[in-house]
Amino acid sequence: MTALTQTNPAGQLNRYPPGDLAIWIFILAELAVFAIFFATYAFTRMNNVELFNQFQQHLDRDAALINTLALITSSYFVVRAVAAIREGASQICVRWLLAALGMGVLFLAVKSAEYGHHFSAGINLSTNSFYMFYLSLTFFHFMHVIMGMVILAAVALKARRGGYSIEDHTGVETGASYWHMVDLVWLILFPLVYVMH
Amino acid sequence: MVALTLVTYSIGRLGLSGLDIALGVLLLALIKGHLIGAYFMGLNRVQGFWRWPVTIWLLLPGLLITIAFVLAEG
Amino acid sequence: MQYQSQAVAKPYFIAAIGLFVLQILFGLIMGLQYVVGDFLFPEIPFNVARMVHTNALIIWLLMGFMGAAYYLVPEESETELFSPRLALVTFWVFLAAAVLTVAGYLLVPYATLAELTGNHLLPTMGREFLEQPTITKIGIVVVALAFIFNVGMTVLKGRKTAINLVLLLGLVGLAVLFLFSFYNPTNLVLDKYYWWWVVHLWVEGVWELILGAILAFVLIKVTGVDREVIEKWLYIIIAMALISGIIGTGHHYFWIGVPEYWQWWGSIFSALEPLPFFMMTVFAFNMVNRRRRNHPNRAAVLWALGTAVMAFLGAGVWGFLHTLSPVNYYTHGTQITAAHGHMSFYGAYVMIVLTIISYAMPLLRGRKVAASNKSQVLEMWSFWLMTVAMVFITFFLTAAGILQVHMQRVMDKPLPFMYVQDQIALFYWLREGAGLVFLIGLIVYIASFFIGNNEPEAEVVPST
Repeated sequence: MTALTQTNPAGQLNRYPPGDLAIWIFILAELAVFAIFFATYAFTRMNNVELFNQFQQHLDRDAALINTLALITSSYFVVRAVAAIREGASQICVRWLLAALGMGVLFLAVKSAEYGHHFSAGINLSTNSFYMFYLSLTFFHFMHVIMGMVILAAVALKARRGGYSIEDHTGVETGASYWHMVDLVWLILFPLVYVMH
Repeated sequence: MVALTLVTYSIGRLGLSGLDIALGVLLLALIKGHLIGAYFMGLNRVQGFWRWPVTIWLLLPGLLITIAFVLAEG
Repeated sequence: MQYQSQAVAKPYFIAAIGLFVLQILFGLIMGLQYVVGDFLFPEIPFNVARMVHTNALIIWLLMGFMGAAYYLVPEESETELFSPRLALVTFWVFLAAAVLTVAGYLLVPYATLAELTGNHLLPTMGREFLEQPTITKIGIVVVALAFIFNVGMTVLKGRKTAINLVLLLGLVGLAVLFLFSFYNPTNLVLDKYYWWWVVHLWVEGVWELILGAILAFVLIKVTGVDREVIEKWLYIIIAMALISGIIGTGHHYFWIGVPEYWQWWGSIFSALEPLPFFMMTVFAFNMVNRRRRNHPNRAAVLWALGTAVMAFLGAGVWGFLHTLSPVNYYTHGTQITAAHGHMSFYGAYVMIVLTIISYAMPLLRGRKVAASNKSQVLEMWSFWLMTVAMVFITFFLTAAGILQVHMQRVMDKPLPFMYVQDQIALFYWLREGAGLVFLIGLIVYIASFFIGNNEPEAEVVPST
């Protein structure tokens, strides 16, 4: 993790976060959507505590655990990828990115299995408020995982062609920041929807 | 971070419930989120305006969720 | 004007302004009919006036968008238009279709018009904003296809920039979504469901792409700020517009019989729709503040900034007012909606078309950079007259709407619709007054094209 601080001499702080500032504005907007969703979930639960508690028990916490670990590991791999490109090691960067993508695939697979399980049980958005929120929130996040993976894949392709260097690797940092955001959101989503009651 | 996740998971697994536990789990999540923001995203190396968005983002819904859970109990 | 073929934009702009006048005249007729119910009855019944008012708006905005595309795509692509002749042919077809349709609305009863145009073969008429006879709709599709082909080929053979790609994406989306106007299921819920795919996904989806692209183009031209910076903003703004706008369609699904989750989805996502508009305002002012030069066309700069502000107020703020489902439960279909509709259409789409006209028209008419000072002063007067009048129209309708909601839906003993309408008549009179001021503004606007033509071009005012 200390690798992240190596672009600047020790002790000197940046004015802007890593990556393109544009992606940060976008990240803020995305975070705002999720924040609203989380708060709405919590307040709706307030009026339907028993319903929420009851159906929360039906969720697959093992799957959620695997997914949390998958995303955290994936984020860590991306951190390594950024560290690698900051030293100019394109091919190592690509390998870390591919590893991160692999964890992303694992996440999607596990989550799809969960959805498959719910759908085969005849559960859908109209079943009740809990499932409405659970499915909406996780599916919206699911789409973000896919989006993040597309971005990472694009970055990986460009890195493999040697498109980034020590001097110019904003693209890698941009993709990384977005991916961390996807992870960050899940870290709140997981306890809120799967555990807290 | 993995350790914190495992704690959260075991709480879920054991089926522990109650306000204190729930808020404890939330606190763990917020700490993890902070770690992501500060180290993974590298925001601890940023000063000024952009240092704060992730922290604020964690605290604001965190606060709202806390309020909602507390009210739900009471 | 750098390319000969950009000249085809001119007839589009002129026709757009002509239909704009028609729209405002019928708006005033309707506004009066709100308070003098039998005004011009039976020659022009209220429903016909409303149809002309809304349809003329849509058609002239489309004319404006097409003109804008024909003007800016060659310049962005750095090549002549693929086929200027095709552009002129589609112009006349489109104009003829528009004129015939309006004439049809005015000359024969709507049911007869439906019969005459063979609506029974493929029924698509009779739905708000999509009242056009089926044959007109087919004409619109043909014109749109020819137009997109023409513009698309130009982009393909020339330089591809973010601006012309976003514009093209918006135009293709516009054409594709319009196809849903041909889908007219007998089930009313399904009908409304897909009807919004045209109506909502146009104004809160693909049109925003067109708006963003035109605004970005004009800002590059008048501020001289780096294309790279402006394109980055454009990308963020349209990404936000699409994320919030597409699922935001749900705010129309609250009470039409679709599943309940739309209450949540519609509320949450549409609550974010002001964000891209807010970013657009920040964007426009930021770019103008960072300008590398003072452009002599001050009127165009004013329109561009005005668009950003008024779009945020009209679409963003007035939209947010009633977008949350618990609020909309009371305000649905009241004058609050009308207030929002007026200011958002004016702020976002009328003003962006007037912005590009303001920038391009002097060039199309042979000026080197800008119109004379005298013309510009008039044009800026018209900007303030129309904009302030629209702000007042919105205020009066909002006041009327609040009273209406209260008397008709909130009070313990709600009052009947027509009784409430009588109670709020004062605000309708005031709105009509503001509408007259708007018309004066429009006349001044048109005058600005005829006055000051003999005078020399405006010079750059040294920056203070």
